[in-house]
Amino acid sequence: MLAFAEQGMNGLMMGAIYALFALGMVLIYGVMHVLNFSHGVLFMAGAYVCQVIFAQLTGNYFVAILGSMLVLALVGCLLEKGIFQHLRGSLSMQIVASMGLIMIVQNGIIYFFGPLALHMRVETVESKIRLGPLSFTAQHFVIIGVTLVAVVALDLFLRHTRLGTALRATSQNLEAARVVGINPDSIFLMTFALATALAALAGALLGPLFLISPAMGDLPLLKGLTAIVLGGMGSVPGAIIGGFVIGILEAQATLVLPTDYRDAVVFAALIGILLFRPYGLFGKRERGEP
Amino acid sequence: MTSLKGLALLAAVIGAACVPVLLPDQPYVVNTLTLTLCTVIPAIGLNLLYGQAGLLSLGHMAFTGIGGYTAALLMKGAGWALPEAMLAAAIVAGFAGFLVGIPCLRLRSHFFVIVTLGVGMIVYTFFNNLDGITGGAQGLPGVPRPRPLTIGDFTIEFRTPRGFYWLALLTTLGTLLVQWLIARSPFGFSLSAIRQDETMAASRGVDVFAHKLAAFVIASAIAGVGGALSVTFLRVAAPTMFDLHASMNIVAIVLVGGPGYLAGPILGGFIFIALPEFLRVAAEFRLIIFGFVLVFIALFANRGLIGLADSLLSKMKRDRVADEQPGASPHAVKSEG
Repeated sequence: MLAFAEQGMNGLMMGAIYALFALGMVLIYGVMHVLNFSHGVLFMAGAYVCQVIFAQLTGNYFVAILGSMLVLALVGCLLEKGIFQHLRGSLSMQIVASMGLIMIVQNGIIYFFGPLALHMRVETVESKIRLGPLSFTAQHFVIIGVTLVAVVALDLFLRHTRLGTALRATSQNLEAARVVGINPDSIFLMTFALATALAALAGALLGPLFLISPAMGDLPLLKGLTAIVLGGMGSVPGAIIGGFVIGILEAQATLVLPTDYRDAVVFAALIGILLFRPYGLFGKRERGEP
Repeated sequence: MTSLKGLALLAAVIGAACVPVLLPDQPYVVNTLTLTLCTVIPAIGLNLLYGQAGLLSLGHMAFTGIGGYTAALLMKGAGWALPEAMLAAAIVAGFAGFLVGIPCLRLRSHFFVIVTLGVGMIVYTFFNNLDGITGGAQGLPGVPRPRPLTIGDFTIEFRTPRGFYWLALLTTLGTLLVQWLIARSPFGFSLSAIRQDETMAASRGVDVFAHKLAAFVIASAIAGVGGALSVTFLRVAAPTMFDLHASMNIVAIVLVGGPGYLAGPILGGFIFIALPEFLRVAAEFRLIIFGFVLVFIALFANRGLIGLADSLLSKMKRDRVADEQPGASPHAVKSEG
């Protein structure tokens, strides 16, 4: 029972990371119909930028996170303008471009920082918080708390601001959005910047807890993809719930099965759920599809 | 035109077969080419699946792995010869494709793509952890080389780079022939119809699910053959040969070469295996440069490199026709005015 509760907390923490990650991917997919397979290396790059700002510039974790989000948002703008804007509607070329980006970013990071993992010593990782007989790092609570704040802020933004409404309109019907005077290009740009900033936030949050390494984004990419498919491919609440479900599921699975099977369990669950709900938990059948 | 194409094909095949004779003291080049062909065979299977039926699988190497492990177990444990082991690999991989295809092919577009990624991950996990059968992370080393083949008084020894290269070339040509035959059969036409418009194909009486399943099984069986060849060439079946990176590489080989074109996977395979070798002059930047190459291909050759060449050729042809028939093209109108 104690192990169950402990893994529940760990799962909630990883679920929060996956939710942030999936949120970025689902925003891009929902608005632009682009599956960004390079989201994992952007997440990794976010952690590296945060580490550099933290260890070499300020020493303030909060500033480092904000700086990393800002830098990655700019990178996101460049990627959208230079690459993904031109690849809307071609899934295969999105994959090719993403693979190219993965090679560029991963090997670029290895060139500058070396292949070895980096540490990032922030206070919240060193200090422990006790819950009854269990103890977790304060970073666990920071991650879950920040994710909840980010989700609420995003929800308020999407539903109660003009810009957020314009974003939702663009995702629902591009032509109709144009007719009412929304400029889709600037919405695409904003969506990409927002999504890459969320990836950087997730990377900057997870980096101190684990190690910062060139391959740290590979598994979150798979889990993020699983989360948005589980949520129904385009549903924002679905992606968040999908992320948490995956985090908790894989943490609990380690209690029953060897750790090596953790990732297989997640995908087996995905296939099992899709057998009964082929459009995901919150997905709707699109017009024209049988 | 057709006979010209046939001649070019014959010349290409003879040229490819002569490479080890022309470069007798370059076993490295010959072995690199053999390795390329080992990768090209599963790519031909994926090309059939994606180029013909429009199904993009991101976990294709799982079936290559199933074929590879089958062949390795049979040849190492039961002492089977390569042809029988290859056939068994194709059958087992095809059957695995059948089992995976039944649930997965009911899913649409992006759902299918992501689920195949999951299948690749699950199968890799089994390769890596079922120590009793697959040898775990260490894999199955010591797969025997195929026995020498004697025709008359001429013996082909598969221990040499040259002999194995010919074997790989022959196998590749065999799978290409399978794809060529399928592309020209009514079955192939139905697959193309499904790729272009599934609803339309269904309304014209094509059993969409059965056709997709058949294509998936054939693609998996071809992948299995490739796996059997790879493990006999490298003499080991190891999980990392068939992980998600390998699967994504195969996908990129097909997409970069030109999906749907017979020569697409071959060109893609050479670009993926040979170009990084060639870029070794740039040492640590070579993978970064290769990344930029991929981004450029995505931006400027959205039907792959052969697709790009194809559309340039047909554009040239159109221009020539337009020049011969004045009045039919805007240039002619301008000169009159």
